[in-house]
Amino acid sequence: MKRLSLAPIALALGLSFSAQAEPTITICEWGTITGADALVNGMAYGARDYFEYLNQTKGGIAGVKINALLLDGRYKLDEELKIYRRCVSQENAVVIGGWSTGAAKALRADTTKDQVPFMTQSYSSDLLDPEKLPYMFMAGPTYEQQIILGLNDAKKRGARRVVLMHADNEYGRAPVKVIREEKAVEKLGMELVDVIEFKYDAQDLTAQLIRVKESKPDVVYIQSSTNQTIVILRDAAKIGLKPDLFVGNFYNINPAIPEQLKESAEGFRAVQLYTNWGVDIPAMRQINEFSKKNKIEKQDIYYMKGWLEGMVIAAAIENAVKANGGKVPEDISAFRKATRDQLAALKNFDTGGISPKLNYADHRGFSQARMAIIKGGKYIGATDWLKLADDQ
Amino acid sequence: MKRYLPYLLFIAALAITPFLDRFVQSLVYNFAIAAMAALAVNIMIGFAGQITFAAGALIGVGAYAGGLLGNAGLDVVSLLGAGLVTAAISVFIGLPALRLRGLYFAMSTLAAQFILEYLFKNVDPVTNGLSGLLIEPPKFFGIAIDTEFRTAIAALILLLLVWLACRNLTQSQLGRAFLVMRESEIVAKGMGINVPQTKFWCFALTGFLMGIAGAMLGFSTHIANPEAFGISLSVDYVAMMIIGGLGSLTGSLIGAAFITLMPEIIQRIGEHLHLGSRIFAVREIIFGALIMLFLIFEPRGIVALFSSLKGNNQTPGASTAK
Amino acid sequence: MISMQLAVAGIAIGSVYALIALGIVLIYKASGVVNFAQGGYVMCGAYVTYALLQAGLSPFIAIPLGILLLGLLGSATEYFVLRPMLRAPVVAVMMVTLGILITMRGVVLFFYGSDTQPFPRVFPTGLMSFGGVMITSNYLIAATASVLLVVAFIIFYQRTTLGLMQRASADNNKAALAIGIHVSNQINLAWFLSSALAGFGGILLATLNGVHDSLADIGLIAFPVIVLGGLSSLGGALLAGILLGLLESFTNGMLAPTLEMWLRAHTKIYSVGAIQQVIPYAVLVLVLFGRPQGIFGKRGAERV
Repeated sequence: MKRLSLAPIALALGLSFSAQAEPTITICEWGTITGADALVNGMAYGARDYFEYLNQTKGGIAGVKINALLLDGRYKLDEELKIYRRCVSQENAVVIGGWSTGAAKALRADTTKDQVPFMTQSYSSDLLDPEKLPYMFMAGPTYEQQIILGLNDAKKRGARRVVLMHADNEYGRAPVKVIREEKAVEKLGMELVDVIEFKYDAQDLTAQLIRVKESKPDVVYIQSSTNQTIVILRDAAKIGLKPDLFVGNFYNINPAIPEQLKESAEGFRAVQLYTNWGVDIPAMRQINEFSKKNKIEKQDIYYMKGWLEGMVIAAAIENAVKANGGKVPEDISAFRKATRDQLAALKNFDTGGISPKLNYADHRGFSQARMAIIKGGKYIGATDWLKLADDQ
Repeated sequence: MKRYLPYLLFIAALAITPFLDRFVQSLVYNFAIAAMAALAVNIMIGFAGQITFAAGALIGVGAYAGGLLGNAGLDVVSLLGAGLVTAAISVFIGLPALRLRGLYFAMSTLAAQFILEYLFKNVDPVTNGLSGLLIEPPKFFGIAIDTEFRTAIAALILLLLVWLACRNLTQSQLGRAFLVMRESEIVAKGMGINVPQTKFWCFALTGFLMGIAGAMLGFSTHIANPEAFGISLSVDYVAMMIIGGLGSLTGSLIGAAFITLMPEIIQRIGEHLHLGSRIFAVREIIFGALIMLFLIFEPRGIVALFSSLKGNNQTPGASTAK
Repeated sequence: MISMQLAVAGIAIGSVYALIALGIVLIYKASGVVNFAQGGYVMCGAYVTYALLQAGLSPFIAIPLGILLLGLLGSATEYFVLRPMLRAPVVAVMMVTLGILITMRGVVLFFYGSDTQPFPRVFPTGLMSFGGVMITSNYLIAATASVLLVVAFIIFYQRTTLGLMQRASADNNKAALAIGIHVSNQINLAWFLSSALAGFGGILLATLNGVHDSLADIGLIAFPVIVLGGLSSLGGALLAGILLGLLESFTNGMLAPTLEMWLRAHTKIYSVGAIQQVIPYAVLVLVLFGRPQGIFGKRGAERV
């Protein structure tokens, strides 16, 4: 039976040998291309597309084309961990882009031990520790900050009774647990009436919403992804709960929501972290230029996030190359270390209007957000951009 | 010569492992772990005829148990402990279903699979719930198993031991009792075989082996995550045996090699062809199609293909007529 | 008040479960095979109809056509995949249906990816209120359609000649053959009807949730339903489906909050998690140990 396995091993070996021939810049990222939260995978495409954009307009970085790999993690932990191992060893990636909260947490020790800069799509506060986790980075305020922003905004509109709904995965549970244990709701002067957990791929949540209705909340915050928000709002409409009762986190700004639900989505609010797709900013002009010759898979705010991450990573690599005399470092671990240092050193970094200027010393870049609301089938800004308290 | 083939291959595997890169080394230990589990599941379904959907959850029990014991510093004993705990749970699932047969037994294992999954996700004090149980690299006889290389060697050695144990089991009296029981419980009873006791040993022994496989899985991924032990894992193992060969030990190895390597091959080819988002879909289609094709045309699996090529029928107990 | 609301929600979802389970029972009765791929047909029904709608057909044509195509798909599967396996052990046949399910999922993913596609609102969506209990009309229509279909099938089985022939083949192939019934055609018909039913179920679900590959997961819940109802009972499938729908609804709406409130007051445990997932399986286990033939099944109906 070993005969069967020699062919792929040879294939794999062959691949790994060729990778060491001349200095390359490989950036390896994974996302949920197929899976439970595929509706938000614009960010995975955005980052990869930015690297392609650099290749097409500037010939890469310092004349070396970027080898940007986008793999399918399928939102399955074992798949994501397998991809990490491939990225860090076979592909010799200088920067790795992760996806899920669960995978990033599981890889806390590995990324530090392997000394490879890791940009996660998660906003979990457990991953934010510049001292203990020097190689872990994210791109925006934590989930906890988002929850507090959402609830604060509701409070300003007169809400007092709060219900939190979350998915039964690490992404759903952890931030809600933190909020609960730190009594964040009470500190805001509101009352946490109930916390409801539901299956992360549930297709019917009517009974849960009946339970919500019984508790007579003034605001319901959803810590889950777009797919489940659609189910929640739809089932809420069934029993007469209005969409303006609900607030979602950043992963709920998705054209699919008003498209599918039409009037059952009017008044739904979500936390917005970046400038939306289509707004006339320098980054959008770059994207439009790119779209002339390339297909853009997802035209939404998540793509903007991805583009931002691409910018940030590329800038760090560029600075690392500059610091090495304009040549791509031969030794991959030195390259990774240098990139990590440059990433953490980014100050007042311009993202072409997608976000305020970034300072990466805190490993998250910025702490600003605003509330968006669905009106007339589209997301529009509901408040000003606010600086969030450095909670975690 | 043919008798020594598995052992020669084992030595070849040990010899080549140091020269592979980390990722391929991870394929080696993933294969070994899958093979151990496949051997156990094959004995249960292929030899003893007890269809089970609970393999995924039992592997999970092994991972959690091994992880907890390993984190407590128990060295190799953590493997034994994981095996025993899983054996106990396997018996617990199987025994009340003694009166159930075939389809109904399969349904009860399906229920057990989902109930165990639920427990993994919610019994936080033990399993750390959805965050997953972080598992430190274990020590075997004092040696820290903290690199892919060491994990691969440890897994290969374990696989050899499990293989020998399974060989001995299938050639023993108990093993023969399994075969008779698979054909017909009434005939077995008529031959003086104590069917409940035979079933007990079947559940216990296969559970033990699954526990060891699960523990190694936890030790190699450094985490026991409840979502990794779901129904799709159970289906994977059943598919492994169909493709490799139901009721054949060598078939389990072939099936495991297949399931470990085929996704990688398809992945690389897919990337080469720029299939991007569709690679996983292609994988599923090939997987499903293979299951159907093998079951329709060669239910005895790849093993039988090799035998018929050579012109002899060396697959023990692989009759399919019922 | 809340119980009425929960009951309505439960019956609505339960009737869809019953529809799916009915299909599995049809095939089991005709050929002794448990079709693990039933969920896959549900999913395909939604996608095929979606494709027809995308091609520009009006819903009035697309939906019946979609159901018909699904029926043909079921027929084809029976002919090409199941018939060659006539002599194979039941284990193998069950596995082959698993293979069918996996392949279907792969094909759907290949063409449509993982994103949920919006399905046009075929039914009116106004919110209706009956004495304080609210339901949107599309759910009401979906539930009514499910119940009507199930009842129609039961009548078909009991009162028509074709139904009689189906029952005869299911009961005893050899005897049926002896009196001139073309058994393999009957089996094929059972598959046709079953997948057409599943297809309709898929369309119903799609009008509610949109089109997504996770539609196939509903196939799994069908198993506790048929064990509870009795593997070979159509009426049992209907009753058990509704019972399990109610059970799920009340678990989510009443049992879980009560449990959690108690746990939160007396222990450090905060949540019972997604308990509604396991409750049907706990029921399945109880039924298997207490009364394996289910509510309406026959004793000794374990074919293996």
